[in-house]
Amino acid sequence: MLFTIVTILAVAGTFLGIALHRFWTTREEAKSTILYAEVFKKYLAWLALRTVQMSRKASPKAWWAYVKGLPLWREPVLERWLYIGLYGSFLYLAASGFFFGIFIPRGMFGYPLVGHVTAGGLFAVCLAIIVLFKGRDFITVPKPASLSLSLLDPRRMGITPARVKLWAFWLFVAAGFLLTLSALLPMLPLLRTAGQKFMFEFHRYSALLSVAAAMVFAGLELFEKDRPSGLR
Amino acid sequence: MSRAGRTALGAFGGALAAVLVLAAGAPGQTAAPDATQVQKLVTWDGNRTLPAHLIPLRDENDEPIIPTETDPLPYSARFTCGPCHDYTKIRDGWHFGAMTAVKSGRPGEPWLEVDPKTGTILPLSYRKWPGTFAPESVGLTAWDFTLLFGRNMPGGGPAEPSDEEVAAHPEARWSVSGKAEVNCLACHNRSGRQDQSEWAKQVLRENLRWAATSAAGVGEVGGMASRLKETWDIYDGPNLDDHEWAVVPSVKYRTVDFDSKHRYFFDLNYQPSSERCLACHSVSPKDAAMWSADADVHAAAGLKCTDCHRNDLGHAILRGYEGEAAETGNRTAESFTCRGCHLGENAAGEKSVMPGRLGAPYPKHTGIPLVHFKRLSCTVCHSGPKPQEGFTRVRTSRANRLGIYGVATWSTDTPAIIEPVYKKDEKHKISPQRLVWPAFWARRVGKEIVPLKPAEVEAAAGDLLKPEEHIAQVLIALSQVMAEDETPVLVSGGFVFAPNVDAGLDAVERTGAKRDAPAFWGIGKGTDILPLVPDFDPAAEDKDPAVETRFLEFLQALGTVLEKPGEPVIVVKKTAYRIVDGYLDIAEAPAELAGAAGPGWIIEGKFTPLATDFDVRTVTAKAGTEQTLTEEQVALVLGALGKTAAGGDPVYLSGGRLFQIDKAGNLAARKDKAAGPVTWPLAHDVRPAQQSLGWKGCTDCHSGGSDFFFTKLKGTGPLLTKSVAKRSAASFMGLGGIFQRIFGLSFIVRPALKVVLAICAFVAGALLLLAGLVALGRFAGFMEKR
Repeated sequence: MLFTIVTILAVAGTFLGIALHRFWTTREEAKSTILYAEVFKKYLAWLALRTVQMSRKASPKAWWAYVKGLPLWREPVLERWLYIGLYGSFLYLAASGFFFGIFIPRGMFGYPLVGHVTAGGLFAVCLAIIVLFKGRDFITVPKPASLSLSLLDPRRMGITPARVKLWAFWLFVAAGFLLTLSALLPMLPLLRTAGQKFMFEFHRYSALLSVAAAMVFAGLELFEKDRPSGLR
Repeated sequence: MSRAGRTALGAFGGALAAVLVLAAGAPGQTAAPDATQVQKLVTWDGNRTLPAHLIPLRDENDEPIIPTETDPLPYSARFTCGPCHDYTKIRDGWHFGAMTAVKSGRPGEPWLEVDPKTGTILPLSYRKWPGTFAPESVGLTAWDFTLLFGRNMPGGGPAEPSDEEVAAHPEARWSVSGKAEVNCLACHNRSGRQDQSEWAKQVLRENLRWAATSAAGVGEVGGMASRLKETWDIYDGPNLDDHEWAVVPSVKYRTVDFDSKHRYFFDLNYQPSSERCLACHSVSPKDAAMWSADADVHAAAGLKCTDCHRNDLGHAILRGYEGEAAETGNRTAESFTCRGCHLGENAAGEKSVMPGRLGAPYPKHTGIPLVHFKRLSCTVCHSGPKPQEGFTRVRTSRANRLGIYGVATWSTDTPAIIEPVYKKDEKHKISPQRLVWPAFWARRVGKEIVPLKPAEVEAAAGDLLKPEEHIAQVLIALSQVMAEDETPVLVSGGFVFAPNVDAGLDAVERTGAKRDAPAFWGIGKGTDILPLVPDFDPAAEDKDPAVETRFLEFLQALGTVLEKPGEPVIVVKKTAYRIVDGYLDIAEAPAELAGAAGPGWIIEGKFTPLATDFDVRTVTAKAGTEQTLTEEQVALVLGALGKTAAGGDPVYLSGGRLFQIDKAGNLAARKDKAAGPVTWPLAHDVRPAQQSLGWKGCTDCHSGGSDFFFTKLKGTGPLLTKSVAKRSAASFMGLGGIFQRIFGLSFIVRPALKVVLAICAFVAGALLLLAGLVALGRFAGFMEKR
């Protein structure tokens, strides 16, 4: 039950945060007032409007066109299959894991579980390869910091969407590492029942962390792509 | 009135009122004293020793027993033990209170009414357990039930019926036999004299009120209540007219165990020894050798059954299953489940129980995924025999009459009970269970299946269920005139049938014999079998003169057959040998006997073989098998039952199938829920950790062909048929067999998956660490440049 509540709050919070970022950086009305209540009202109105607009636009055909338009298909063959493996396995893992974790009291069982274990192996392999060969593209090199109170000033921390995206990538990698570890260790004759219980919970919260990181990363990535060039 | 007068009047009024109140509340002079007023029930004072039980014996009339007086009555537990231990409270305990219990609890082993002749294996229970029938619903009174199963009952319950039950069934012989009170000594007697076999013998002799005295070795009991007239009463005393047959039961007490005040020394245990429990609760693999059997790991560690299966004075024995505490409201029960004792967890998995009672070790369960603890009971991995191809067939004390010793062989192979069948219970947990396939005759009324009593079936079937009996009667009759080294036999279908001491038939396979050779009656002599009627020419002058003498003996012997269908005759080459006026009559066979040969009967002038083709065919078909009925017999009996007046279609259930006569008049088999197996959880014997499932790894169960999931179960029953239910082990668990095969096969690549995951985790983790260190170093200014 706790996991369900935490999951709902985390996913909703991440989604609303990404949406707020988009609203804040793309909409003129967001800057039209300094009153938070007014901004919040405008944000909600915009969110509702976008939801209606997107639901009107959404159709299997539109989704298919969107998927076909992803830059993924233009990657070289090895990378293309690597990303397909990563995205596909991650989507299945998240879908099956959270569905059974939230809606099925018994937990995962049967063929979905076999699929989950198989997809987990694929995900781990793809993630390791991506970190090995693509991780360098996501290395951010901060400037040396000096000890001052400005370290605590959010406006001076240099938090930019690009950096958040990089942190989201490494957070996703870290979560993937923890997921792999928490799947592997219970399979080995190392942990007793308490350890097994801990790893089970650890696996679930690692999965939640990876989903949140993936949402942030994907949100920012897609937003960057859709953003008018003048606003970048 | 003066003050003194007012005071006196008030005092008088008060005294009068007090007298009236006391008089109203006091028992009448003729009423029996209230038991609670005279009883001084014991309570534990904290001392852990057991007081010496040197106590006066009292009979069922609450009179003291003087062992040396003439014809003393048997001791009564109610009045001997009752003064200190509340008998009325004890008699509601688990072992005695099934008839009146409000809650049934987790299913246990049902009583199995087994009748080989009619092919009946009927699960019965006063508790409402799935698959069992209430005894009264199949026409069994408390009296019937006691005679059927009293051998393994500790008295009380059905053996000690209420006065209403006694009055409702005047045909029962309670007034002759008395009631079998709760037999405290059945469990608490520490003496090696306690004899379960003696108890069983006394119950069968209907010596119910004497059984406890005799079984405990308190006294020697003679006589048989079963042979007395139903009008006999305990106050009638000995039967002076009969000292041989209808001898009245009597007790001769072991006076050496009494002191001068006529007090008897009971050598008792507070906690019954495990042997006392095992007298009725033993379970052993069929055909296992005693020396090869291991004890339960708890017993091997020095625990007694009652260390865990405890009870208070109410004798509500803790059964030790999860959920018992919630059902009974007895929170102590949580401490005595596997989880409670070893893990300190209650049924909900909360750490609310004190673990480690009696030194129970905490299990490591290293590397075992959590799902196993959610979906499996502890006993799946730890109890009963390990899964093997075709399961393990066991025999239990109560079903197979184990542990009753005497001249006759009491134990039986049937009913066939198998274990461990891993089955999902109502709480969706899988637990190992014992299983028996019911078999019984019934009438189907609407959708309801109403079992028939074996006696009812026998009455309708007539001779259809007696082929063995018919042949055995002939052979037993012939054995009277056989030499010491000779045995009369019937040879048929490659088997030799000879009579046994139980007036039945033993079938031995005859090596090298042709299965389709015609049947013949013979004389077994060592390993040779000679024909009963030798091949000779009666008209020949050089024939053996002893032949006619032998024929005379045979015919005389056949004349003593109990239910002979006609006069015996032997026909040899158109010559008939008969007994006429006590002499051997040798004459040319009349036209009616043309074509006849060998020994037989003349019925209304016609020749009939000693055993009919049906009888020979039936016993031959069943020879060498455990089955007691053929499809032909079932079809004929169903036909016979159909002609009786009772309503409903007659059916027979066996091997997981329901048999009935179809519209074409043939025997048809089909699935039916009522024919399904009856199961009940098993908990013992618990195996040591090294023998538990999973000790050698996941593939103990998870493999492409593991016996745990994929061994096959075939329905068994008294009917010789190929129409039996077939199920896989996985089907009892509610699991798909195909999925389990795929899942099992996945364990072939599991080691590779673990290696891959380990490499991936190492690569991702190492790079993550490296990236973090780089960022940290840069942040700290250690690494100015890349």
